[in-house]
Amino acid sequence: MRAVSKSPRTAAWQAKATGALPKTAGALVGLLFLSPLAYLAIEATRAGSLSSIAEAQAIRPLLRSLLLATAVATITVLVGTALAWLATRSDIPGRRILAVAAALPLAIPSFVAAAALRAALGVGGLIPWLPRPSGFWGALVVLVVVTYPYVYLPVAAALVTTPPDVEDAARLLGDTPYRMVRSVIVPQIRPATVSGALIVFLYVLSDFGAVSLMRYDTLTRQIYSSRLADTDTALALGLLLGGLALAAATVERRLSRSRAPYNSARKPRSYQLGRTRWPVFAVVASFLGTVIAAPAVVFLVWWLRSSLAAGSTYPSLAESLAALVTPGLNTVVAACVAGLSAAVLLLPAAYLAAGRESRVGFFASTAIASAFAVPGLVLALAVVYWVVQAPAVVASLYQTFPLLILVYVLHFGVQSHRTSVAAIAGLPRKYREAARMLGAGRFRRFATVDVPLIGPGVLAGGGLVLLSVAKELPATLLLAPTGFDTLATRVWNAAEGGFLGDVGVTSLGLLLLSGTLTWVLVLRPMQRNISPAD
Amino acid sequence: MAAACGSDEEALIVYSGRSEDLIGPLLEEFTATTGTPVAARYGQSADLALLIQQEGERSPADVFISQSPGAVGLLSGEGSLKQLSEDTTSLVGEPYRNGSGYWVGLSGRVRVLVYNSELVPTGELPASVFDLVDDRYRGRVALAPANGSFQDFVTGMREIHGDEATQDWLDGMERNDSPTYANNSSIVQAVGRGEVDMGLVNHYYNLRALNEDPSLSSVNHFFGDVGSLVIITAGAVPASSDRSEQAEELLRYLLSRQAQVFLADGTFEYPLALGDAGPAGLPSLAALDATTYDFETLSGGLLKTKEMIDASGLEEP
Repeated sequence: MRAVSKSPRTAAWQAKATGALPKTAGALVGLLFLSPLAYLAIEATRAGSLSSIAEAQAIRPLLRSLLLATAVATITVLVGTALAWLATRSDIPGRRILAVAAALPLAIPSFVAAAALRAALGVGGLIPWLPRPSGFWGALVVLVVVTYPYVYLPVAAALVTTPPDVEDAARLLGDTPYRMVRSVIVPQIRPATVSGALIVFLYVLSDFGAVSLMRYDTLTRQIYSSRLADTDTALALGLLLGGLALAAATVERRLSRSRAPYNSARKPRSYQLGRTRWPVFAVVASFLGTVIAAPAVVFLVWWLRSSLAAGSTYPSLAESLAALVTPGLNTVVAACVAGLSAAVLLLPAAYLAAGRESRVGFFASTAIASAFAVPGLVLALAVVYWVVQAPAVVASLYQTFPLLILVYVLHFGVQSHRTSVAAIAGLPRKYREAARMLGAGRFRRFATVDVPLIGPGVLAGGGLVLLSVAKELPATLLLAPTGFDTLATRVWNAAEGGFLGDVGVTSLGLLLLSGTLTWVLVLRPMQRNISPAD
Repeated sequence: MAAACGSDEEALIVYSGRSEDLIGPLLEEFTATTGTPVAARYGQSADLALLIQQEGERSPADVFISQSPGAVGLLSGEGSLKQLSEDTTSLVGEPYRNGSGYWVGLSGRVRVLVYNSELVPTGELPASVFDLVDDRYRGRVALAPANGSFQDFVTGMREIHGDEATQDWLDGMERNDSPTYANNSSIVQAVGRGEVDMGLVNHYYNLRALNEDPSLSSVNHFFGDVGSLVIITAGAVPASSDRSEQAEELLRYLLSRQAQVFLADGTFEYPLALGDAGPAGLPSLAALDATTYDFETLSGGLLKTKEMIDASGLEEP
């Protein structure tokens, strides 16, 4: 595959495919996504605080951040890929339900997942004989659970668009299952897997909720605990995180360099698990049961305990649910608009980045990755910095819905961008060339050839952004229009006041809502490919 | 929102570090009484202070309500707050307002030792917070060293007892293997379920936990010294606001009898403008060590506090 991707023919095709328009768009997108790091660099220079990184003994938190992010990324690759394969290519019982359920944990904010896990296990918890998780292992478990869908969704999208012929050929030639996986399946899903791993890695770098409750002292925890007392150091540490993200994005580009064979709208091959069918089902069902049902049960217990307690002044069920309607609607609108905007706005940059030879593409995709590693609070402050000194037209957008959407796209754009790149990388050249020879114009080729083939991947990417937005907290608190509540801000408000019952009922609402959105907008369109359509 | 309130007036913007459950009803009541619409943005006090700082002259905030003296201190130290009128500040006693009039206390939270009554006999409870470094409390007292309230408490201890005694106490707590948690809520939950015997927290978290689940065996213990420091929730007006009169009107409303009674009854906080009586069943303010401190006058301020906590090693998990 490697040899093919480097053939002169490919280069020529890529060169033709990237005109001046995508290049300009790519450069602008790159600059926009670098603006948070530019702010951090300006602040660090002004305060001369880069040297204070050394004084702040940033090395150990830095190593902890790297260790945790690498470990979580590695485990999520295994878990996410295995689940994606089972959900799209196997005859595991209840495959469709599994496909939705596997995406659900992404909807849980990490601070809620960590609090639920700590409440569930250990002395006085629901399962008192298990040790209460904390430190590295506690953070690892929580972060694996809430991030593996970042690998699962793109890989599932890759698996439903790969055609059956190569696999059939390999089988006919008598390949062993191991060789088959190595030589056929792995190359197909490699770009999606590696980009998913990058997203997980960056998520862990920027996460505060899990590491704070589990008390694992990473760079992000340092940023939060010093933000008020020593803002300059906090911002300098933020710059360090951004630098890490740039490095990680460069590594990712090298690792994903193998090209997927090609995409197809034909029904992919399905495999029979045979005798292992039910044992595999038991393993998967108990895993998903634990990661989804366990938090749900904890939420339910919190809610019921407080609403049933004698003399409790808690609102009734109807009141509790009614209070969720407006925040729920706000969450749906913000998440959908942001997911769609990210998918569409970053598509030109994705085309550029899929063309390996494009420097602008490399610049844009690296810049896009950097904005995700910066914690939400720091990103929000960066946006404020630029917007308040911008011309009045821009400044008037401060704390409005359009600016909030832009902030979401900035923060989570990498999720959609990387997933789209992986999908575009798998576009079969022969179809486009055939279309060109038949005289189809650029837009017609895009609409008739590209859209059906990259659609599932692009949708999955938009879906990741959507789910991330649904639970986003720090930037929403600072930059949403005044009074604009989302389910995540309601959860936070309740947790802040110590009202566990409200945390429970609102988290359940968030879980249900995100599950429904994932099913309707991401998985159902994707599954049309695995239903017997042909 | 303005239209909904039957007025064309633009809403007064409040940045509130207190969560909506605890102050939202009062803001609605203010609008109902005065006709001035109010819109609130809720967040962590520290984050909102950084936001106001970053917004500078273009900050839309007319009122800043901070749960943390540290957060409001950051802004007053930079001259980012307006001086309040005597009419407003004089509603509370001297200890509960900023000496230069940059902020006024709205309500108080008291630092306490929350303990599990099934694990700790009352005879074992310490009279002073300084007793907690004794061997008999080894591994039994939970702290939240990264939390703003704890940092404010340590700053108060520095103000009253000096840096040396404070550092000794922090080092002693670390030597005593005090378990650390993320915040007040997690300590109260941990004590309630018997995971740890005791913990240093703000008083009202346990009262709220008991309200939700009266079967819990967690109980608040008040110290006779700086251990039960009163931490003030402060109200201030950012210098950038061009509606400071209405902003101060809101602050005065929050100090009115009606609002203060709501704070005491609904949120278990100490009212500051109703004399010394505390909420039902709690010690009076006079019995507690109520001290305010201006971070700009305390050498090194919050940064120094954080450095001292870091030096003790409590922050290393």
